[in-house]
Amino acid sequence: MRTRAAKTCHVARPVSQFSTAYSLGSNECVRLQFFSLLSESDNGNLILQGTQVKDVVIKPDAPYTLLLDKHADYIAAYGSKKDDYEYTLSEYLRMSGIYWGLTVMDLMGQLSRMNRQEIIEFTKSCQHDCGGISASIGHDPHLLYTLSAVQTLSLYDSINVIDVDKVVDYVKGLQQEDGSFAGDKWGEIDTRFSFCAVATLALLGQLDVINMDKAVEFVLSCMNFDGGFGCKPGSESHAGQIYCCTGFLSITGQLHQVNADLLGWWLCERQLPSGGLNGRPEKLPDVCYSWWVLASLKIIGRIHWIDKAKLRNFILACQDEETGGFADRPGDMVDPFHTLFGVAGLSLLGDEQIKPVNPVFCMPEDVLQRIGLQPDLLS
Amino acid sequence: MAESEEEVDVLVQRVVKDINNAFKRNPNIDEIGLIPCPEVRYNRSPIVLVENKLGVESWCVKFLLPYVHNRLLLYRQRKQWLDREALVDITCTLLLLNPDFTTAWNVRKELLQCGVLNPEKDLYLVKLALSKHPKSPETWIHRRWVLQWLQKECSPSGQELKDQAEPRGDAVGRRPCERLQRALQEEMRVCADAAGRYPSNYNAWSHRIWVLQNMAKGNLKVLHDELSSTRLWVSMHLSDHSGFHYRQHLLKALARELSQVGETELHPSKQPNGESTAGASDDNHHNDVIPQLFHEEMELCTDLIESFPGHETLWCHRRHVFYLWHQWRREHLQGAGSQSPPLTHTDVLLSEEPCDDSSTSQTMDVDCVLDGSKHGSYTQDTKRLKRGPLLPHPALPSEHTFVSRILTDCRSTEQNRFAIAYRKWLDSVIGFHDPYMQRPRHITLIFLAP
Repeated sequence: MRTRAAKTCHVARPVSQFSTAYSLGSNECVRLQFFSLLSESDNGNLILQGTQVKDVVIKPDAPYTLLLDKHADYIAAYGSKKDDYEYTLSEYLRMSGIYWGLTVMDLMGQLSRMNRQEIIEFTKSCQHDCGGISASIGHDPHLLYTLSAVQTLSLYDSINVIDVDKVVDYVKGLQQEDGSFAGDKWGEIDTRFSFCAVATLALLGQLDVINMDKAVEFVLSCMNFDGGFGCKPGSESHAGQIYCCTGFLSITGQLHQVNADLLGWWLCERQLPSGGLNGRPEKLPDVCYSWWVLASLKIIGRIHWIDKAKLRNFILACQDEETGGFADRPGDMVDPFHTLFGVAGLSLLGDEQIKPVNPVFCMPEDVLQRIGLQPDLLS
Repeated sequence: MAESEEEVDVLVQRVVKDINNAFKRNPNIDEIGLIPCPEVRYNRSPIVLVENKLGVESWCVKFLLPYVHNRLLLYRQRKQWLDREALVDITCTLLLLNPDFTTAWNVRKELLQCGVLNPEKDLYLVKLALSKHPKSPETWIHRRWVLQWLQKECSPSGQELKDQAEPRGDAVGRRPCERLQRALQEEMRVCADAAGRYPSNYNAWSHRIWVLQNMAKGNLKVLHDELSSTRLWVSMHLSDHSGFHYRQHLLKALARELSQVGETELHPSKQPNGESTAGASDDNHHNDVIPQLFHEEMELCTDLIESFPGHETLWCHRRHVFYLWHQWRREHLQGAGSQSPPLTHTDVLLSEEPCDDSSTSQTMDVDCVLDGSKHGSYTQDTKRLKRGPLLPHPALPSEHTFVSRILTDCRSTEQNRFAIAYRKWLDSVIGFHDPYMQRPRHITLIFLAP
């Protein structure tokens, strides 16, 4: 077998960033030796190098039981110091942050601990004249935050505090001639926005205002040879985009257009030896992909194709026993985003301590039942 | 040490000024970064300029960010006026610290629209922001908006490469005009830098594809150049799935464009831009170039797979390249008509394949046809290329041979796993399924779930 003289690549730290290895410049050849090499990252994670499997190794003392109370405490206290620098940094997505926090609390049966009135008022004050809703007060409106707002108000059964007709007009106005959706008036196209559009309209019971055929045609044009979907036609398949597109096709009743076996295979190839799921080949596992991938598998009826026990193990290991909450992978810093997707993932895997979650909307099933939404799933 | 609000105000305004003065002093700043420095130092500027690198001492960021953030929002809510220069300075500072802040980019779009801001400035700011945040989706989105805006504003007919190409006889070698060429090169540079800063940078590579589709539509020279220039890069970034996907895109685009060129060479009157293509170099030029391209890519893939066992990305690349090749062969054996008449009974079988989705048993015939070993290792390729050099084109049997060779020689368990998965894919996907047919079949794959 031919081999090349390989320079040893030094260990990149922390686990989630390989920027050091990558910035060596074109003079150096970054090649991993193919002998087994275990090294330790800054946060104490063990990384497998050299065997070429990018993965984490779960330490023996990692959490293995579900610490639901700690997570509820974490979310309830999150953002109570509102002039925190970190809080300001993330204000551009606040509406989504609120949706993540509320949804995970509801899934844990702890929604009452959140400040309902304050949140409803906040959401209302984020609706602009054009009908679109922004991430926070004074920010510009966008489809992403319009969806999060509608999801939040649906959880609270208070959808009518905003002008629903204007929201519908806003969403309808973002559809392009080719059926795609822009994220806002500035025109960026992405299949994520197709999902946001139909999910929003479905929750408002007004799917019929858009050109459905064209919308479907565009999303299908983003289907790739591997059965997956990217952000635009011809883009690389990506688990997040796949979730959006399968969710879209579910809502629009077009799941039969998916090649479930082919896509299911691509999705279950995301599972790594640690049990965690990544979003694309040769990426590290991340708890949020445990949602995007798992929900997609559930939608296309292939959730039994992954090793559920190992995935559950991985998700539980991402908990922080001290602070509560979930991180992207074991040992990293927690945040509400990964906390939601960790808990939602466990729900999809059948944990009975958590309410059943809907794989298309990532909302409690009982909320959707109340609204009367039962999107198709393949079996 | 507690700071009064006025002290903070004064400090922050000074810092914002310092940052913007740094840019005025040195227009060649090409990288920004945070300098870990937790100790607060009021009497010294936290802005450090060394060669072309701009650093901000970390202690001031917790004052700086909320200040500029809130000032911008007050402006946005019409609660506090900011003149244009202040807006430019504040958004610049803000976006260098927090380039995901969409609203700040939107303010700059508006400034661009009313002529206050030079679009080149924003392209520069984006590039700088990407030096520290190479993935930031909002930054890439803003860049695309500026580029599109430039296209609309600067050229009434749009800056499509085909329109502005220098007139030349052969379609393959059409050169883009100089300004466009420079703009293209700059985009490729920005993408390459960002790709080098973060592994498998989806947003950087997607942007690169967008640039090809929107600024270099169908330009063969650009596609060829990109194929050559990324070859070394991917060889040094073997796990970079996005990088390899880019090459898959290039191959697909080249195959498509070259096929169209071939069509117009046959029918000169159909050339869309009115140029005559009489006197094209070879007959069936594309029929040789395309197989050559696929052959070279498969060779590259083989080389890398053998040298560096256990990289899933390389096997994914192989699947995709083989699939594209397989597709192209099927399309050009069936559709080309006079170009490549059926030379073997295998070709005839292929061209008679019903395109209707009838029973699954039809697919079995296709499989037999492609399995050259059943016909004494004749493949339609060796038969067809009577004129050109006999290149060993990838085909199902040769791929199976490759897999067997890997499994025999290999010491890596991961390599084995990927090789076996590739073989399963060959059997179940190439053999039985074509996702590009109008109604995909729900065929239960013949293997159990991995």
